[in-house]
Amino acid sequence: MYLNIDAQKEMTYDAIVVGSGISGGWAAKELTEKGLRVLCLERGRDVKHVEGYETAMKAPWELAHRGRPDNQSAEEYWAGIRTGYTVNEEHRYLFENDSKNPYLETRPFDWIRAYHTGGRSLLWGRQSYRWNEEDFMANAKEGISIDWPIRYKDLAPWYDYVERFAGISGSKDGLDVLPDGQFQPAMELNCLEKHVKSEVMRKMGRTLTIGRVAHLTKPQSIHTALGRAACQYRNMCMRGCPFGAYFSTQAATLPAAMKTKRLTLANNKIVSEVLYDEKKGRATGVRTIDQNTLEVKDYYAKIIFLNASAIPSASILMNSKSSRFPNGLGNESDQLGRNIMDHHLGVGASGTYDGFEDQYYFGRRANGVYIPRYRNWGKDKRDYVRGFGYQGGASRSSWGRGVGMEGFGAAFKEEMTEVGGWNMGIGGFGEVLPNENNRFTLHPTKKDKWGMPLVVFDAGYGENERKMRIDMKNDAAEMLEAAGFKNINAYDNTKSNLGIGIHEMGTARMGKDPKTSVLNAHNQVHACKNIFMTDGAAMTSASCVNPSLTYMALTARAAAFAVDELKKKNL
Amino acid sequence: MNRREALSRVALLMGGTLSAPTLMAFGEGAAMPPTAGAAFSFTPAQQALVAEVAEHIIPRTSTPGAKDAGVGPFIELMLKDCYKAQEQQNFLDGLADLDAKATKAHGKKFMETTSAEQVEILKQVEKETTELMKNANVQQVKVGDNVDKEVVDSKKLKGTPFWRLAKELTLFGYFTSEQGATKALDYVPIPGRYDGCIPLKKGQKAYAL
Repeated sequence: MYLNIDAQKEMTYDAIVVGSGISGGWAAKELTEKGLRVLCLERGRDVKHVEGYETAMKAPWELAHRGRPDNQSAEEYWAGIRTGYTVNEEHRYLFENDSKNPYLETRPFDWIRAYHTGGRSLLWGRQSYRWNEEDFMANAKEGISIDWPIRYKDLAPWYDYVERFAGISGSKDGLDVLPDGQFQPAMELNCLEKHVKSEVMRKMGRTLTIGRVAHLTKPQSIHTALGRAACQYRNMCMRGCPFGAYFSTQAATLPAAMKTKRLTLANNKIVSEVLYDEKKGRATGVRTIDQNTLEVKDYYAKIIFLNASAIPSASILMNSKSSRFPNGLGNESDQLGRNIMDHHLGVGASGTYDGFEDQYYFGRRANGVYIPRYRNWGKDKRDYVRGFGYQGGASRSSWGRGVGMEGFGAAFKEEMTEVGGWNMGIGGFGEVLPNENNRFTLHPTKKDKWGMPLVVFDAGYGENERKMRIDMKNDAAEMLEAAGFKNINAYDNTKSNLGIGIHEMGTARMGKDPKTSVLNAHNQVHACKNIFMTDGAAMTSASCVNPSLTYMALTARAAAFAVDELKKKNL
Repeated sequence: MNRREALSRVALLMGGTLSAPTLMAFGEGAAMPPTAGAAFSFTPAQQALVAEVAEHIIPRTSTPGAKDAGVGPFIELMLKDCYKAQEQQNFLDGLADLDAKATKAHGKKFMETTSAEQVEILKQVEKETTELMKNANVQQVKVGDNVDKEVVDSKKLKGTPFWRLAKELTLFGYFTSEQGATKALDYVPIPGRYDGCIPLKKGQKAYAL
């Protein structure tokens, strides 16, 4: 390859961040704010804040199929269609077309991707919970997998830091199982949810609280300075929020990084590998392929943050082969690509409630209720380890109830315009244990149109998850029953696959020992200290709470450490 | 990413938390014919018939009806783009059945009978559909917080029957149309706030989203 020195200089930055999603955005913000010149490489197109949100202001009737997926999209988005919602018309344009980005499944895996500026930070459910102290110790206590190299206290100040900036609304509940944070004012429960809250506490001693969600309810100057405003309660979040009310790269971290004038965002750059200098024993940069022109270009930096999301971040290292690392960069432990975790869901209960007929609500709350874990907590002991929480909500039914009802005509129409009865659903979010046989590999010969080897998934639920699901289903029904619900329908969609939670984790886990882990306590690749990974790949176990807030905290912590080490000339 | 909120978005688009099934699932191994795709269309006579059936389900009252809201063309578009060949065929068969029933009872096509006669025929179709689904052991199965599936014995029922398709698509098409959403329901594009617990006002319509 021809490279002149000037060109190489032009392609040289202090840091390269691969990926612009939730964790990549944070890496870009933290590193630029600490004075580094940063190149953020995004494999997809640029989706600009507000103007890039194509459907954000559309009324239902402005969508040809009123939001429903059509047959052609269902074929093209063959993985996305399994979720039941990502292929819907109003936000499909922000998800990846699976036919253009194929992958292989030894065991089925629902891999839901969003390749564009902001990535899935535009599409996430925004539920934001701290892990608790036990979450970091459970592996060691139970002798499962390996121990985390960090504890809650290592992350606590960073949770504080990212919560204040992101803007997490929620209520302080004073629970060990769900540590409180720096919250924006909580959203309100509706009257049926308030009733259920008091009943499950009174009869079962369980907590129901409003979801802790990354939405501004009372923006502070730190938020308004970036152009962010309070939630408008449209609940159209997955189209992109023109108010910047929920936390996304576009609304929050990208404008903060841009303010420093030290960020360069390069779109359409697929990172194929990390460049490794055997003499220096460190990574020198990354190789990219332009997704449109296929042009190959190398970029150089002192440090590299891999934030491409769990599977691609680990893939990049697997694909970075040298004589020093014949099985992939930093893969001496053979743990790269292993221990894929997710949260298992698709199990819970719903029911109808007679009462509160004269009560309604106003606005579409972009949030639900949360019932924190209570199983295997305190004195409770089950025939499985770990636990689960529930997310759900109560609402009054609308015309949808008419589909299964008999009748038609003027009176039927009138009834359908009226407010229907109350119902409520709660769905379990269960912890998946790390298991090194749940893994992905790169196919030896099959490649995508950019010449990158195809990802092959071989991962599934284990016995612990299956046992847990029994409680997840029965407990949900019991709680609704305790609160006086009727027509309770308990469900367990046993056909759901790993991946459906869209919380891929664990493919380059953190650990104390380079023999059994890929990353150290500061998210550095053990064997190549100037590569950091702070997305889902880094997770050593999965907890039962949503992981994104933890990615943010890990990223901010690792970025501070990296800059410190750079100053000390340790990197 | 959180499923609950996203699933409730689906439900909201479908008219609130669904107490009614939204998807028909068929037993293991049931071979669904591929979509007829672009080939599907109604004749002008079928178009008129579909619009008439939709208007019977959601007639014009003090608020616009299915015809005002363009439900007929919407049903044709949805069947063509979003449904499989089996459902498309069921729908066409259902339309032919309406004429057959009208001819048998009144010696003329459905569109030539009186409105009262048409209502009687549709009531008969509804009754038959209820029986049909009962015989196929329809079971409502929860697949998500707000998403239900109906599982049926696929040997006894091939695809969603005509009347269920007509009714679901009419309700969906009407209440998500500009006419239906803004005139028959309470459409609030930007609420700006959330009040969790407020008295239901007299005459309050359900929210459109």
